[in-house]
Amino acid sequence: MIRRAAFLLVIIFFIPGATVLSQATAVFGRSGGQADFLSDEFYSAEAESELFNDPLEPMNRVMFTFNDRVYIWVMEPVATLYSEVVPWDIRGCINSFFRNLEEPVRFINTLLQGRFSDSVKILERFVINSTLGVYGFADAAGREFGINPVHASMGETLESWGIGDGLYLVIPLYGASTLREITGTVVDSLEMTPYYTWTDDLAVNGAIFAGKKTNDLSLHLGQYEEWKQLLFDPYISFRNAYFQYRRQVRYRPVTDDDFR
Amino acid sequence: MDRGIFSVMILAAGMMFFIGVPGSTSAAQPPDPTEQMRPFVDRIVAILTDPDLQGEEKCIKRREKVMEVASERFDFHEMSKRVLGRTWNTLDKDDQDYFVSLFKRLLEHAYIGKIEDYSEQKVVFRDQRVRGDRAQVDTDIVDQDLVIAVSYIMLLEGDMWKVYDIVVEGVSLVRNYMEQFKEILRKESYASLLKQVEDKVTELEQSIGKPCPVEIRDKADA
Repeated sequence: MIRRAAFLLVIIFFIPGATVLSQATAVFGRSGGQADFLSDEFYSAEAESELFNDPLEPMNRVMFTFNDRVYIWVMEPVATLYSEVVPWDIRGCINSFFRNLEEPVRFINTLLQGRFSDSVKILERFVINSTLGVYGFADAAGREFGINPVHASMGETLESWGIGDGLYLVIPLYGASTLREITGTVVDSLEMTPYYTWTDDLAVNGAIFAGKKTNDLSLHLGQYEEWKQLLFDPYISFRNAYFQYRRQVRYRPVTDDDFR
Repeated sequence: MDRGIFSVMILAAGMMFFIGVPGSTSAAQPPDPTEQMRPFVDRIVAILTDPDLQGEEKCIKRREKVMEVASERFDFHEMSKRVLGRTWNTLDKDDQDYFVSLFKRLLEHAYIGKIEDYSEQKVVFRDQRVRGDRAQVDTDIVDQDLVIAVSYIMLLEGDMWKVYDIVVEGVSLVRNYMEQFKEILRKESYASLLKQVEDKVTELEQSIGKPCPVEIRDKADA
C-alpha cells in the first residue's frame, strides 16, 4: 500500500519533470567522467549555479535550514549518545551489515547499466560477506580478497539511460538530491532493498531508516559542524559538494567488458 | 693510432657530456611530485603525532607548527586567483595581496581542520599524474576503518611543486569556495565579500584562542 502510494508520488513528480529532464539531458547527460583538476577549465568553467537547475532554490534553502536544525538538535545528540553506548567497531559492523543487504540492489543496477564486471564483483562480495563475513557484519571481501565496494544506484542507471538530473532538491530528513536521483532512491529502497520490503509498516521502515542514519552518522560525528564553520554560504557549498562528490563516486574507467 | 686516440678522446668527451647531461636534464625535467609531497606529508603527520604536542592544551602550538610547514608548500596566490575568477583581474596589486593574505589564513583552518582530527592516521600515496607544469598527487588518509581520499593539485614553480587546490573525496576546495564567492559577488559586492572573509577569519582565529574542539570520536573504545 505504502509502496504503491510512493510509486504514484514518483510518477506524479516524474511526468511533469520529464520535459525539464529532457532539456537538461544535454547538459547533465553522461558528459562528466572524472573532473580534470589539472585543466584550468575546471576552475574557469561557468558557475555551477548556471549549469545545474535550481529553480526551487528558495524552497530548497528552507529545507536545508530545516535539515540543519534537525541535524544539530536531534540527530547529532542522538548519534553522540549512541556512539557512547555502542563501541566503534560494532558500529562499523552494523554499517557493513546494511551495506551488504543493499548489494542485490547494486547488482541489479549494474546489470541495467551493462557494467557486467562490476555485477560479478558485487555478487562475489555478497556471497563472501554473507558467509565468511557472517551475514555481512564484516567486510571480508574487501579485507581478505581485495574486492572493493562498488557503487551503483537507480539514479545512476537513469543517468546512464540519458535522463538528466532535472531539478536540484533538498529533501527533508534526507538531504541533497535531484529529481532523478530521489526517484531512483525511492525505487531502490521501496522496491528492492530487503530491509524496507520486509514490512509495509511505515513506522518500522521509518525506524530502520532512522537507525541506519544514526549509525552512519555516529561514524562521522563532528565533521558537519567542522566543515560548516568554514563556509560562507553552506547551502551553495553543499550543493556544489553534492555534484562534485557524485561525479567522483560515479567515475570509473570503462573496461572492455562494459558495453556502453 | 692518432685516429684511435682521437676517437677515444671524442668518446671520453661524449661520455663526459652525457654524464653531465643527467644533471642538466633533471633540472629541465620536472621533479617527481610524489617524492616532493612525501616528506611534506610526513612532517605534518610527525607534528600531529608528536607525543610532546598531544592534548588540548598543546593544540595552539600544534596548529601553529602545522601552518608553518603547510605555508611552504601551498601557493595561496594561485589559489586566490582561481577562487575569485574574473574578479581577480579587476583588483589592483595591493588588493590582490590583501586578499591572498586573508585567504591564506582561511585555508590554513580548512586544511588543518581536515587533517587534525586523525591523530592515528596513516597517509598512503596512491597515484600521481603529471601534465606539463601541473600535477595531481592522490593520497588516502587512513584512520582505522575510515579512508578519506585527499588529492593535491600542484603547479611547478622553479623546481618545487606547489599546491593550489586540495580535493577531499572528489570535492575541490577551491571550486567549492569559488561557487560561494561567486554567489556573494553576484548578489552583493567585492567589498561585502571581503568583509565576510575578514569576519570569518577573525571568528576562526578567535576559536583557536579558546580550547580547541574536543575530539568527539571515541578511539579509546575501539
